[in-house]
Amino acid sequence: MSELLTTLLQDARVWQGHRHRTTTQPAETTGFQALDNQLGGLGWPRGALSECLLDASGIGELQLVMPLMKRMTETGKTVFWLNPPHTPYAPALAREGVGLDNLVVIHTEDTSDFLWTLENCLRSPVTGLVLAWPGKLATRDVRRLQLASEAGQNVCVLFRERRQAEQNSPAALRLELMPDAQQGLKVNVLKRRGSWSGQRCTLAMAHRADIRVQEAPRVVQGPWPGAAR
Amino acid sequence: MLWLYLHFPHLLLDHVRRSQPIENALVIVEGTGQHVLQACPLAQDLGIQPGMRLKTALGLAPELHILQADQQQQAQLLEEQARWLYHYVAHLTPAPPDGLWAEVSSLQRLYGGLAAIWQTVEQALAEHQLTAWAALGHTPLAARLLARDGKGECSADKGHITHALAQLPLTAAEFDKTDCTRLNRLGLETLGDVFALPQKELARRLSPELLATIQKIQGTRPDPRAPWQPPHRFRQRADFIQEVEHTQGLLFALQRILAELEDDLCWRQQDTDTLLLVLQHRHQAPTRLRLRTTGPEHRAETFMKLIRLKLDQQPLSAPVVSLVLVVRRFISREAPGGQDLLGETQDLNEAWHTLISRLQARLGEQALTQLSPRPDHRPEFAWSAGEVKRAKNPGEVNPQALPRRPLWLLPGPCPLTETPVAWFSGPERISGGWWDGQRVHRDYYIAQLPGGQLAWVFRDTQNAWFVHGWFG
Repeated sequence: MSELLTTLLQDARVWQGHRHRTTTQPAETTGFQALDNQLGGLGWPRGALSECLLDASGIGELQLVMPLMKRMTETGKTVFWLNPPHTPYAPALAREGVGLDNLVVIHTEDTSDFLWTLENCLRSPVTGLVLAWPGKLATRDVRRLQLASEAGQNVCVLFRERRQAEQNSPAALRLELMPDAQQGLKVNVLKRRGSWSGQRCTLAMAHRADIRVQEAPRVVQGPWPGAAR
Repeated sequence: MLWLYLHFPHLLLDHVRRSQPIENALVIVEGTGQHVLQACPLAQDLGIQPGMRLKTALGLAPELHILQADQQQQAQLLEEQARWLYHYVAHLTPAPPDGLWAEVSSLQRLYGGLAAIWQTVEQALAEHQLTAWAALGHTPLAARLLARDGKGECSADKGHITHALAQLPLTAAEFDKTDCTRLNRLGLETLGDVFALPQKELARRLSPELLATIQKIQGTRPDPRAPWQPPHRFRQRADFIQEVEHTQGLLFALQRILAELEDDLCWRQQDTDTLLLVLQHRHQAPTRLRLRTTGPEHRAETFMKLIRLKLDQQPLSAPVVSLVLVVRRFISREAPGGQDLLGETQDLNEAWHTLISRLQARLGEQALTQLSPRPDHRPEFAWSAGEVKRAKNPGEVNPQALPRRPLWLLPGPCPLTETPVAWFSGPERISGGWWDGQRVHRDYYIAQLPGGQLAWVFRDTQNAWFVHGWFG
């Protein structure tokens, strides 16, 4: 019995509010030291769901998973993109150093196909990372996905809308993403295993468009105020 | 030389009965539909005999299932049997419509005696749920006559076989009808009586052909049989006497066929990646389903899963009368090229193929794509989506040689509706496409929108502004 309790505590499935405890749950480092620190030094949990909640694409949300994606494709694991809202742009991915041979883009027509596909990807040993844009999901479906991801040892990141932050979710990690000053990305931890949530950090993401922080804008001639529109 | 002849007294009947469990009596009628050719045991219990008129049979059993014999189909069926028998026997000759010769004297050492060969063949027949009468003979014709009369025994003793042959009635000897009548009128009853006649007289009084046949039976005249070669394809068919309306009914028959396919592939040491399943309907064009696995495969279980998925996605449009499974594409099996002792790479490879095949079977092949850059300056042509393939060796791309591009590309340019709050770089002029009519002439900028998004925007020749990508 006590053995069972120890396991529960160590996997951070039950945690005690009054003390922080380093857990032994499997995880993959995010590649951002600041964020790792906020997540108890671990990173993306493996064999569990992670959620990123954001308003609109283009704030650096892909850069957040880029180090992991790069690592996965390098080790020969397959990275699945499920129902991406726009086209993942191959030249940019190649420039970032992602192995495109290990990247598969899947489009599904309805929710049942989506769930089925995601479950299959999560259970397979060849999968390293699944990025999914589910659209609307019932809590019941998220629960089903959480169970499927526990069957495998993969990282699964769901990108959802920010207003779903209010809804509770069985995902192990929930991050709220917002744009910050100087093209940075503000990460707000809404939920994590093994500790209180509410940590915040800001990640510098300006390099995604080759913008150096202190530099003055490099536009040759500001075209906007002219005869533009 | 020693020949084994297998006579299939009711091949078509066996074939139909193993495709579908049937409760009612079943008969096979000849092409014109007048007479019963073969009757299943259940029908025989009801008093139906082969050779009976169909009307009489229907009088005896009103619920009778009737199937018309088809020459071509029987030939194909015989070929199917030859195919599996070829696993055991090298020199094989089909005798359409219902028999097979196998040369067995050369196999005695391999199997360790005649009895072992006999047993192996009988066991295989039982596995395939077939009825066959077997017989041994020193000439092909002797074996055939004995088998067709059901007098076959597992003995290579020449005296014994000759004795059994001599006992055969003339009607069983497959002579010409007129010759048979003439011999009968001479007062000859058995084959032994004919053997006893002087050969010269036989040829003179009856016909040289009759003498030739008798000499072939006795082995004094050569009777060569060309060995059969299995065709380089797999084709199996199941006929349903009761039309199948649900997928479940098909799976029963498919299970057996796929098991045979697996056997065949294992025996050839080959794999396949394409199956063609043709479902025939009574009043409609046949449904053709092409099943593709992403990698070479031979296991019946995997094929079954794929077929099940495919049939779930595509319900039957009409009841099915028969199904045919054809495999034409064979791939030689790769030697396991595992990189480590534990063969882990091999396993992952297999798991990858299984996963992708499963997804493709349910979602359709075009739902899965792999991306690759293309050498073109125009952003919308600088990438392509291709078929999913297992990565063999990573292509050498120099990341620094590529220009800065956004991670998200919009399917098409969207008009810019908000005024950007900051401009970062630009203009980058992209002009091209005069060679294929897709002219592009744009100035690209990187700008930040009020929502905090970094956008890749451009101005075209009409001074209109568009968003073309997001720096995600």
